[in-house]
Amino acid sequence: MKLSELFQRNEFVITSEVGPVKGCIRPDGGPRPACLDEAILLKDSVHAINVTDNQSAVMRLGSLAASVALKQAGLEPIYQLTCRDRNRIALQSSLLNACSFGIDNVLCLTGDHTSLGDHQSAKAVFDIDSVQLLKIARGMNEGFDMMGNELSRATALCLGAVVNPNFEPLDLQLMKMEKKIAAGAEFFQTQAVYDPKRFETFVRKTEGFGVPIQYGIVVVKSPRMGKYMNEHVSGITVPDWLIDEMAGVAKENIRQKATEITTRLVAEIAPMVQGVHFMPLGWHDVVVRVIAELQENGRRAARASVAS
Amino acid sequence: MIGTTPKPFAEILAALEDFQKIAVIGCDGCAKVCLTGGSEQVAEFAGRLREAGKQVVLEATPERTCYLSKSHTKLDPYADQLKAAEAVIVMGCGGAVQITRQVTEELGLTLPVKTALDSVGHMDTLVPGELAMEQCQECGECILNETGGICPVTKCAKGLLNGPCGGAENGKCEVDPQRDCAWILIYNRMQQLGELDKLKRFMAPKDYSKMAKPRTLNIKEKKAA
Repeated sequence: MKLSELFQRNEFVITSEVGPVKGCIRPDGGPRPACLDEAILLKDSVHAINVTDNQSAVMRLGSLAASVALKQAGLEPIYQLTCRDRNRIALQSSLLNACSFGIDNVLCLTGDHTSLGDHQSAKAVFDIDSVQLLKIARGMNEGFDMMGNELSRATALCLGAVVNPNFEPLDLQLMKMEKKIAAGAEFFQTQAVYDPKRFETFVRKTEGFGVPIQYGIVVVKSPRMGKYMNEHVSGITVPDWLIDEMAGVAKENIRQKATEITTRLVAEIAPMVQGVHFMPLGWHDVVVRVIAELQENGRRAARASVAS
Repeated sequence: MIGTTPKPFAEILAALEDFQKIAVIGCDGCAKVCLTGGSEQVAEFAGRLREAGKQVVLEATPERTCYLSKSHTKLDPYADQLKAAEAVIVMGCGGAVQITRQVTEELGLTLPVKTALDSVGHMDTLVPGELAMEQCQECGECILNETGGICPVTKCAKGLLNGPCGGAENGKCEVDPQRDCAWILIYNRMQQLGELDKLKRFMAPKDYSKMAKPRTLNIKEKKAA
């Protein structure tokens, strides 16, 4: 199922994310990989699940193999494809591979730099950038590779992209977002934002862009993680109020607090967007609870409106 | 200029392990600017080799060691000293090492030619005697006309052509918080020039065949291949 079809039906599209394991998975049994366990936990809560591509430049199982495993388990994967590790030949071939394995959605990204990962001496490729990748992928949907050679069968992939509303100057980031739209992006997932006002500014400026946007949120699991993100994860700011609120609860209540904060932020921002994208970093149960609470809030609101 | 840094002395001694009589060749071009291989550094390095028990049979520093003619001009008069050497060590860039090898070959000598330096890029001197920075990759199709005279191919860690990734914070690159995000520099510059609209144009993937190694330059016809 293409995400674009859900957006066209005006569904509020909910997605989450799993990181493939550092190890292989085998069709002949053996223990089920954690990424599949986590995805299955989300099965009834989300429309689709992003599968990251050697996230943070840490070498793992490929996003395609993990996406296929999700598909086989009856889940809808969003295959992430970055420009860090593949040149234009490998990227196009990867798109053909993904489509051949039944993948319907691909998220095209630049990718974290190799210097941030666990193979820091690797040669970073970045042969093409994310805008160019989107344009190439759209061309393949139309039946041609980037050199204009005809494909024996065109791909049929829904193309997603990312944008960071935290970026300063925001207009520069939006300039790139518009390029991505012109290149073929059909939906956007945002970087994690914890400041609803900042997000509102971003939404106002992108109102005329005509593409669905999913609000992105990383589940902050502890005050320490919030501080770590501020110090080490570029492009994300976790506000003091959130860190303080997390610090104010006992350890056994921390999951509940994470659920509360995430629910509150999503509830506030959801009316501005066409979907939400959770990045749970392993806390998939929290995402399940957040979605259940949001649905319960929605039902309560509907009942109240009927009653009035 | 070509930036260079000294190799660890122990590594150099290991490369010269089998040789006693050494010719030391510097470069009074780029390596002089980098304070790694000019006449002064050659004299100092020769002293260290002697302290390590080597016999230095020649110290010579061509004006530009990577220019074949300048190296010949400087080294040809010392052909006898080169003949007496068991190995040559060059305090210059990788190009200087290979031109020196060519000079020895053209003098009819078969000598091991070693390097004392690591070459670290095409550098521009920002603060004389203190700081140089890589600003050009010699990519073969210059886009500085479109980017306000700031090269994203070199100065963006990911070489992005269509705008920044999402990783910059406080104007700095996600790879090195000390370094400015090239795309923010470009954006600010284009804004000052009143040319922001030009940045909205799609930039096609680069033609990396123009960087296919080893490139040659036909100087007479002004053509690279």
